[in-house]
Amino acid sequence: MERLGPRRAPLTWRVATVAEKRPETSNATTLVLDVPDWPGHLAGQHVDVRLTAEDGYRAERSYSIGSAPEDPRLSLTIERIEEGEVSPYLTDELRDGDQLELRGPIGGYFTWETGDGGPLLLLAGGSGLVPLMAMLRHRAAVTSTVEATVLVSARALDDVLYRDELAALDDDGVTVRYTLTREQPAGWTGWSGRVDTKMLRELGAEHAGVLRVFVCGPTGFVEHVADLLVQLGHDPHTIKTERFGPTGG
Amino acid sequence: MDPADMHTDGNAIAGLLQEVFVAEFTSMERTCQSCGDQSPAGAHRSYDGAGIVLRCPNCDDVALRIAELPDRLVLELRGAWIVRREG
Repeated sequence: MERLGPRRAPLTWRVATVAEKRPETSNATTLVLDVPDWPGHLAGQHVDVRLTAEDGYRAERSYSIGSAPEDPRLSLTIERIEEGEVSPYLTDELRDGDQLELRGPIGGYFTWETGDGGPLLLLAGGSGLVPLMAMLRHRAAVTSTVEATVLVSARALDDVLYRDELAALDDDGVTVRYTLTREQPAGWTGWSGRVDTKMLRELGAEHAGVLRVFVCGPTGFVEHVADLLVQLGHDPHTIKTERFGPTGG
Repeated sequence: MDPADMHTDGNAIAGLLQEVFVAEFTSMERTCQSCGDQSPAGAHRSYDGAGIVLRCPNCDDVALRIAELPDRLVLELRGAWIVRREG
């Protein structure tokens, strides 16, 4: 459980510079950042981002790191929350070369390194995919052969983050499955609706005690999926969870 | 909003708590004073109101309360917490 390295550095606010902005979906954007003296991170960790208005008012939000620890640049994928205080600024206003304050890396419970082993079962609701993608990118970066199965739950196919990259991983020892909860394209052969026990069984989730399970997404998604896993025989202590709540975006 | 969406978990307040402890917060183990469950801080449920309350994932009893006031920060811990800090 003790992990030295990235966590030794004190948590200080740093000024990051936007190196690139990449649209992911109609309402999610990836910010690729240069962070001077970044101490390194583990897949699954997050950062706090702080915005300060001219009158001194501050707003702070947490965002999962999407990039692999091996990536020289830090990337965050921001889902735009309508009426949000922070996310519309990050997705709409920020330009290449702009700066923003962040601190991190933060967290140590919801993390995975290839040395932790597998097989991995990663269950993502919406933008809950971001920290799990960091795990998959880490796995790919070090050419790990740990088996990984990913279930992505999204409202519609166009809302799925990193689709092309996930498709490429699918040929590389990673099984990727989707369930679309609101809208399915014509000829859709994936799953539809909320995650259920049948889907989890097909993914091999009944092998409780063997799998390393990570669940990330909105609170309702995480509670629902974790409950199903417990019904399948998983010890709640072995299911690692991270919930995105009503933070006001 | 779905009532199930009204809380998050210990991961959401990890930056603030790391300011307090310096040590990484989410992997700190806590043993509940009510039910004896042992879980890391990241697995606890977090409720945000006038301050933040962290609750035991097994029995919902209060594990931590933290309030940020203009001139000070107030932290109350319940149960047995193990804080490990390197260096």
